[in-house]
Amino acid sequence: MMAFYFARLVEIFPFFLKGLWMTSKIAFISLVTCTLIGFALGMIRSGNNIILKRIVGIYVAFVRGTPFVVQIFIVFFILPEWGIQLEAFPAALLAMAIMGSAFICEIVAGGIDSISRGQWEAAASSGLTLVQQLRLIIVPQAMKVILPPLVGQYVLLIKDTSVVSVIGVMELTRVGWVTVVRIPEGLMVFSLVGALYFIISYPLILISNYLEQKMAV
Amino acid sequence: MIEFKNVNKWFGKLHVLNHINLKIPKGEVLVICGPSGSGKSTLIRCINRLEKIQKGEIIVNNTLVHDKSINLTKLRGQIGFVFQQFHLYPHMTVLQNVMLAPVNVKKIAREKAEKIAMKKLDQVGLTGKSGSFPAQLSGGQQQRVAIARGLAMSPEIMLFDEPTSALDPEMIGEVLDVMVNLVSEGMTMCVVTHEMGFAKKVADRVLFMDEGKIIETGTPDDFFDNPKTDRAADFIGKILTH
Repeated sequence: MMAFYFARLVEIFPFFLKGLWMTSKIAFISLVTCTLIGFALGMIRSGNNIILKRIVGIYVAFVRGTPFVVQIFIVFFILPEWGIQLEAFPAALLAMAIMGSAFICEIVAGGIDSISRGQWEAAASSGLTLVQQLRLIIVPQAMKVILPPLVGQYVLLIKDTSVVSVIGVMELTRVGWVTVVRIPEGLMVFSLVGALYFIISYPLILISNYLEQKMAV
Repeated sequence: MIEFKNVNKWFGKLHVLNHINLKIPKGEVLVICGPSGSGKSTLIRCINRLEKIQKGEIIVNNTLVHDKSINLTKLRGQIGFVFQQFHLYPHMTVLQNVMLAPVNVKKIAREKAEKIAMKKLDQVGLTGKSGSFPAQLSGGQQQRVAIARGLAMSPEIMLFDEPTSALDPEMIGEVLDVMVNLVSEGMTMCVVTHEMGFAKKVADRVLFMDEGKIIETGTPDDFFDNPKTDRAADFIGKILTH
């Protein structure tokens, strides 16, 4: 029986590849949007505008204090009640962007805060604008602190894409659920699912370890 | 050139600048001294708006420094600032440190900015270190690069906030020499320092502060040899025996 199921699994393997492709797509788009939004929010969070800072702080606290599944449900089931109707795929992307950007915001703000006030003052004294101060002086130095946890966060985000299966996006985990109904060998099916996640996240784990060692010097 | 009109500043309850009135004409070398916490650093940090003020006004070259509508970049371009802790950019070479503002603020072409930067590095005697990173330099060398960085914008005013206080004694001389040379070029300078030798040699005027107030001003010889107030006399006694 086992061999039979295994043969079935091999047969429908392209279905898994499709799921992997969808997972990669969500992960890639999310990493890019989360990074962009996260950096913008992080700069605001470590900035001087108290009102904006507060708003971002509340946003981050809300996201960090609630489960991702709940956030997805809000985006997919509650927003339509306010007239914002999204398909499962864009809803998944939006939920990922909201969740990931909050975590990256904290990493970026921590990195920026680690740079001494003197660097800001020196840059400001030479006449650089705030944007130039950030771009030329602060962020390049903060990247040393930001990069290792940022890549680590990427690994978490890739794995968190599995949660969007709950709203029916046909990504890797969803493929696993659908398959296990027909091939009732849970261990076999989800080992495959796990292995495929591992293939895309392990290189990032290696990069994160490498950066951590390199930046520590 | 620089004018303080009844300037007041508080840090919480602490009155750090208490009714400051001061005129610094073009070309003057002003040395500011006083015990720590007397407000001397805060005073010069207000000149390029690193600090806000709560009352009064500061005018630099007909520009109202704390007016929100002024071009702050332009104002700061006219004022070089040298910090006690140097604050060089550690991720850039010496040359990049000095070129940064001319290229990004004044929008000078790279080759031309590089020439300016090398000239300023020559002025502080460090052309040989242009490719080094700040961490590879001694404290004295770092401070000289910081001075070159300030000069690269061709400022009309140079502000020095205890430029030699973080240095080992044997490096103080090289930094003071560079500053003395600047004086001979007619630069307007405000220097917060306790270096009496420097003050006596080049300062036009010494200003003594305590508890946020200007207690007395005078020529270096007058001030150090015949202080008018007890507080100044007490202070001079302390730095002499130090």
